[in-house]
Amino acid sequence: MADLEIKNLHAEIDGISILKGVNLEINKGEVHALMGPNGSGKSTLSSVIMGHPDYEVTEGDIVLDGESILEMDPEERAKAGLFLCFQYPVAVPGVSISNFLKKAMDARHPEGKAPAGPFLKEMRENMAFLEMEPAFANRGLNEGFSGGEKKRMEILQMMMFKPGMVIMDETDSGLDIDALQIVAKGVNKMRGADMGLLVITHYERILTHIAPDRLHILMDGRVVMSGGPELVTKLEEKGYDWVREETAATA
Amino acid sequence: MPTLALPPATEPALLPGFNENVLETARSGEPALLQAKRTAAFEAYTQIQNPEAFHEEYRRLDPKKFKFGSFTRLDIPREAIAYNARPVDEHYDVVISVTPDGIAIEDRADVTGGKVTVQTLQQAALDHTSRIEQHLGTAIRSEEPRKFFELNGAFWNVGFHIHVAKNANLPKGILLRYHNDREGTALLPRLLVTAETGAEFALAEQFTSPDGVSTLCISCREFHLAPNANVKLVSLQDWGNVGIHIGEDWARVQRDAKVDLFSMTLGGVVSKMTVGCNVCEPNASAYLGGLFFADRKQHFDQKTLQFHSAPDTYSNMLYKGAVKDKGYSVYQGIIRALKDCIGVDAYQTNNNLVLDPGSRADSIPSLVIDADELACSHGATMGNLDPEQLYYLRSRGISEPEARRMLVLGFFEEVIERVPFEVMRDRLHEVIEEKLNPFARD
Repeated sequence: MADLEIKNLHAEIDGISILKGVNLEINKGEVHALMGPNGSGKSTLSSVIMGHPDYEVTEGDIVLDGESILEMDPEERAKAGLFLCFQYPVAVPGVSISNFLKKAMDARHPEGKAPAGPFLKEMRENMAFLEMEPAFANRGLNEGFSGGEKKRMEILQMMMFKPGMVIMDETDSGLDIDALQIVAKGVNKMRGADMGLLVITHYERILTHIAPDRLHILMDGRVVMSGGPELVTKLEEKGYDWVREETAATA
Repeated sequence: MPTLALPPATEPALLPGFNENVLETARSGEPALLQAKRTAAFEAYTQIQNPEAFHEEYRRLDPKKFKFGSFTRLDIPREAIAYNARPVDEHYDVVISVTPDGIAIEDRADVTGGKVTVQTLQQAALDHTSRIEQHLGTAIRSEEPRKFFELNGAFWNVGFHIHVAKNANLPKGILLRYHNDREGTALLPRLLVTAETGAEFALAEQFTSPDGVSTLCISCREFHLAPNANVKLVSLQDWGNVGIHIGEDWARVQRDAKVDLFSMTLGGVVSKMTVGCNVCEPNASAYLGGLFFADRKQHFDQKTLQFHSAPDTYSNMLYKGAVKDKGYSVYQGIIRALKDCIGVDAYQTNNNLVLDPGSRADSIPSLVIDADELACSHGATMGNLDPEQLYYLRSRGISEPEARRMLVLGFFEEVIERVPFEVMRDRLHEVIEEKLNPFARD
């Protein structure tokens, strides 16, 4: 059994069906990429996995480490080791980064309180690794951040929380090459036997920085094609029309 | 034209408990200057109509809720009583402590006597007669007669004068602490602050009483800032659960001077707070910061008045409020720029969090502009916590109640972060957290 199993997942928002039977299996130690044209359901999939309250799962299951997470609140999913790198992280004015990270670390600590000393040390080290100024920790969470700063903030959280399963929702969108390299640096540092990763993207570009083991193509709410890294090159050359023709032929 | 003033009375209008006899008690044994000031204020008080629910200013807070007639004016002894130090006092140079038993002025850092004066008004009327004569009761503008400003002027039962001389400053600041534990009594504190040219200092004020003890407070604070002075005040109204509070703050701000008035309303059952500034010479500026959080049927009413009576003057106002558990809050404010006051910059913002459907917040900002060529803006927002912010925090493992607490504190932080004194900021965080934790109170 895979560490993350998405089984025949159907989901809708406001009565509109978006996911129509998604199947995916990801193990720790693996990097999977998920690509697909606009409107194929990529971002919906990440929201449904994390437990966004606006989406309703109508059929299927999501199983993390052998346990269904469908009935779990977002905070329980997070504590079970799931982490979503948001495409558009929301600004939370008045809540400083250090306060936010401390509360999130407290929530993960068995005694409900992460010791302040080691926490601060780890935060500073990770911030330095991601080339963030120490004073940044006093700023309001995502308040007035540039696109690059927001994504760095997401990676910083991932490095602090050390999740077992990470979903990156179009983390590369709106990033310049320097910011993308820093993001990739953080991800590649975390990559290893203890973490599975699903990179949802619109562009092949990020996959040259974070090389995937598998690629899946999502169309109209279903995974219609899966393959090895060679599929990235093929997709780049031939485009989604080719995928449509291929899947129509096999259907 | 919107105004918050009560109309003039055709015959003397007295509120129960505040009449000639009480005035005589207040006047007795006082320096002649104060007696004259009290009599003048009493006259003005009787010439303004008693507040009624049909007056614009009281449409959202029925004056019956003040329960006039149920409170007796405290007779606070003028003799000094022993000072009881508290741990927070170390953050201040001077601590003034008031209880029904008397007052204590503790100069912890030996700052008074020279350039800094901290005295009772009675003593100041003897030592600094002309200064008190010139400033006491003169901070309001005649366009806005204020019933409770005058009532306090006639009947105040504890008064202080704080004065800082030219270019002097206070390293830490001054704390005024009021505590009333006498059932059915009225405290009427008066504060007169004068800052000479270039003076710079900060004040903190705190009101407390035990839960279950009915008290009334009618407070009045006046600030007179000479050119280039810089004065900050943070006032925390933290009365016990049945306290009633009426407050009037007025600042007159001269050229290049700046006043910051922070009014924090968290305690009591009924509160009506009015803060007015008159930026009256070019480049004078005022910041009015407000925080209110009404829960468990508390009813809080906030009024602000930003008067621009000279060209090139600035004022900025940010009031943030939250309501829950049948709390009700009202914000109403006016920016007023007089004729020929060009180059005015004035802002008025009121944001409200309505945390449950049984609670209510009203917001009525307004502008009265007789001048051209100015930049004014006003705005109000109303709503519950942002579900996307809530989801984001929860997706990081933070529980829903904790995420809600963080968001409410974050909402208020825009005001709190500007408040002088770290101890006051800490205390504000504490009180807000208590209100958010259903098990911390009751």
